Amino acid sequence: MKNVGKLLIIIIAGLAVLIPFASTYPDGLEKVAESLGVKESQPLWEGLMPDYTLHTVDNPYLTKLISGLTGIIIVFLTAYGIGAVISRRNTNS
Amino acid sequence: MHIPDGFLDPAICVLMYAVSICFLAWAWIGAKKTLSRLFVPLVAVSSALVFAGQMLNFPIIHGTSGHLIGGTFLAVLLGPHAAIISMSIVLLIQAVFFADGGISAFGANVFNMAVIGGLSFYIVKLFSGAYPLSRKRFFVGVFIASWLSTVLGALACGLQIGFSQVFAQAGGVAVTVPAMLFWHLIIGIGEATITTSLTAQFIRVKPSMLRGLTMLREVTP
Repeated sequence: MKNVGKLLIIIIAGLAVLIPFASTYPDGLEKVAESLGVKESQPLWEGLMPDYTLHTVDNPYLTKLISGLTGIIIVFLTAYGIGAVISRRNTNS
Repeated sequence: MHIPDGFLDPAICVLMYAVSICFLAWAWIGAKKTLSRLFVPLVAVSSALVFAGQMLNFPIIHGTSGHLIGGTFLAVLLGPHAAIISMSIVLLIQAVFFADGGISAFGANVFNMAVIGGLSFYIVKLFSGAYPLSRKRFFVGVFIASWLSTVLGALACGLQIGFSQVFAQAGGVAVTVPAMLFWHLIIGIGEATITTSLTAQFIRVKPSMLRGLTMLREVTP
């Protein structure tokens, strides 16, 4: 568990440092759609933080960092919970 | 490579949901047998790492970028079953909270990234050979498996969009498959480089953490 805490801090610190360097170019699939003239339609479900931004935070760095941080915590807890359910009968090895 | 809503025909969405649910059931049953409670914190933290990694796009050429998928990384770390579950959790949270990948295309995205990524475990296994593992062969396996999982995911994605109405006027699969493959042959090199260095770091720090590596040594189904 101690290692896991350390790793989480490294992940969050890594994200905080690397966000400004992340490319904002379209990814492979977006590029293909763009070059073929296919436009992304309105999603069926907007999500709470569409495209990793918060409506309430304008600063592009902070909005991505806060939504990323929130996502990391949600993913961590969900995976922890599901992992615990799957492995509840397994004790050793 | 996250497919948004509106790109796929409803029939393809349903088909991919059905296929992915089968693989998820296989992964769930397999993980129930093999996943130790001691590994649950590692499942959680590696899922978080993959989520963060997917936010960081690296530029390639011609104003295009790619990002880590992380399927092979999870497979080497957790074994194929837990890797599929872990990646599906990441994709689900991306779709629900961040509108990254459409809800309707969730089945397709799970197949392209979680299933293919998790199954790339067997490519690593193929290259690594029998125990005792050779370090060199293992890392060559990790590099090739991660590259190949990106390319195969792109192929699947190219087929799914190519057979859908939205891309039909643009030329269908004859255009979408080569285009997806072209970009992801390059993006895959980034995937392979990141996966191989991350795996090397984990092995250096704590080899016992690599459940997938242990499974490579055992006879696994």
